[in-house]
Amino acid sequence: MLSNIFTVSFFVSLLASTIRLATPILLPALGQIYTQRAGILNLSVEGTMTIGAVAGFAATYYSGSLWLGILMGMAFGMLYSLLMAVLSVTLRANQVIAGTALNILGIGLAVFFYRVIFGIQSLPPQVEPFQMLKIPFLSEIPVIGVILFQHNIIVYLSFVMVVITWFILEKTTFGLKIKAVGENPKAADSKGVNVSKYRYFAVLIGGIYAGAAGAFMSIAYLNIFTESIIGGRGFIAVAVVIFARFLPIRAMWGALLFGVASALQLRLQALGIDVANQLMLMLPYALTIIALVLASKKADFPSAYAIPYSRKER
Amino acid sequence: MLNKLTKNLNQILLAVGTIILALIVGGVIISFSGNSPLDAYFSMFNGAFGSKQRFMEVLVRMIPLVIMALGTSVAFKANLWNIGGDGQFIMGSIFAVFVTIYSGLPPVIGIPVSILAAMLGGGLWAGLAGWLKVKFNANEVITTLMLNYIAVYFLSFLVYGPMMDPKGSKMPQTEIIPQAFRLPLFESGNRLHMGIFLALIIVIIMIFFWKSTVGFKIGLLGQGEKVTTYAGVSVKKMIVFTMIISGLLAGISGWTEIYGVQYRLLEGITSGYGSMAIVIALMGGLNPIGILISGFFFSALLVGGATMQRMTAIPFSIVDIVQGLIIIFIIARTAVNFKEIKNKIVRRMGHVK
Repeated sequence: MLSNIFTVSFFVSLLASTIRLATPILLPALGQIYTQRAGILNLSVEGTMTIGAVAGFAATYYSGSLWLGILMGMAFGMLYSLLMAVLSVTLRANQVIAGTALNILGIGLAVFFYRVIFGIQSLPPQVEPFQMLKIPFLSEIPVIGVILFQHNIIVYLSFVMVVITWFILEKTTFGLKIKAVGENPKAADSKGVNVSKYRYFAVLIGGIYAGAAGAFMSIAYLNIFTESIIGGRGFIAVAVVIFARFLPIRAMWGALLFGVASALQLRLQALGIDVANQLMLMLPYALTIIALVLASKKADFPSAYAIPYSRKER
Repeated sequence: MLNKLTKNLNQILLAVGTIILALIVGGVIISFSGNSPLDAYFSMFNGAFGSKQRFMEVLVRMIPLVIMALGTSVAFKANLWNIGGDGQFIMGSIFAVFVTIYSGLPPVIGIPVSILAAMLGGGLWAGLAGWLKVKFNANEVITTLMLNYIAVYFLSFLVYGPMMDPKGSKMPQTEIIPQAFRLPLFESGNRLHMGIFLALIIVIIMIFFWKSTVGFKIGLLGQGEKVTTYAGVSVKKMIVFTMIISGLLAGISGWTEIYGVQYRLLEGITSGYGSMAIVIALMGGLNPIGILISGFFFSALLVGGATMQRMTAIPFSIVDIVQGLIIIFIIARTAVNFKEIKNKIVRRMGHVK
């Protein structure tokens, strides 16, 4: 019986949806690599993504343009994370509490404005999501073509961002400064690096990625908006960053690991296999805990992780 | 004595100021939606205090919220960011109902055992996160949150599967707990139950708890690990212990909701109490009396908000917005050094002269 289930086509569709489901974790995780590298633990990714999801959805619904939706998701994600930057960098507030507050506020604002814009409708408003973009020739390759080259454009771009994020952090002065303000803000300050400025940049970049990922959920994955559309992916992304020890390539593997856990649940359910569905739904969350447990002892946290910087306390 | 009084008065004034500020900003957001903020707040106030029944409903909501917020405050005082109140609430409820349905104990023994089971469920769930923290350095914010999701799905697995009411019509819920096990109601016509006394007793216990050696040690934990080591306390043990206390209170909070209001397990029993408990704990300054007062305020907001949504076109999420704003104003207030700003202004004025 098992051989009937675990066929080639099962694995192909499993791995293809793994890649699709990894995307909304990969994108915010890449953004949070900047933020966490700069020494800020931003727990409000979940709220920021929900804001991005509603902004992207509304923009696409009224303009008909999916790209405008992604752009608005990014813009609102950045705007919203500005609050986190003010609280954590300028006001030097406790980052855990600030993040928790911004999650409650963010989800509240997103749902509020969704209701105000769309009212109560018997059928939820929908948009036409991004279509699959088959890469010529490559998508024709058997098995691999279906797994890797039959996705929508945002999926491809997210994986391209892995390389770009790596390049910016490792090969540019900007990346060096981001890391410096997280590793040793005092030394960076004495070398003339404006600590606050670079921490602001790091939080805002994280917000842009999170906003894009939120918009991905509402206009490139589902084609509706719901209150729980993000479903903990923002928190999982924060955990993936720690699991990946703050490295983009590893974050990609981490995101794929979560992708496979979610994909497995969806595929098995689609096949109508009687593994209690709710137990399968736990998988990504349990995996997050296991990943954290395995990685946290070894993770080389930036020295100034979650510690506000003040020039006076030198 | 007088000093303490003015200090308390100051705190209360600051709290009221914070709430007013949050309501004003919330009002601006309401007016964006084309509604009148005054109408909204009036309907909210009326929804919470407009009749005896509504007021009783505020008290009903207050019972689990205050108990859970007390639990949250225990962890927060030790700088342990337990945001898994919902998961601990659920696990406590599951353990308790499991014992009540399947043990067949008579109520005299069965009721206390069910409370202990709730404490065990909540305590274990939070203690697990504490243990993962000390053993593997796993960030408790993320583990407690993930444990929330796991508890939610576990509950859903149980009510759709092994614990589904065998006599029911395939509804996702357990069988109802017998009358003799339930918390008695005050009067028919509203849902206020005797759990309110339990909440008050726990508030009093917590006042003494903070004066005890254990409470003092937990406070030390919040002032940095070094201090605690010097005072001869094993930091690791204290972290796990603090998390267990925090979680067992959340477990009791679940028990009051099941045995006082719901009488059975079903999906969505926490109704997002967890995040509200965090707001209540912070607003109450992590202090039992403060938590009691802020618990009352937020319960009114909850009940009033639900009425407002029914009566006006304003979505309930404005309640979440106000909650988020209140925490932001609280942390901004404590983070901003007012003296510094004052000095700066004075200096600038000096320059002008």
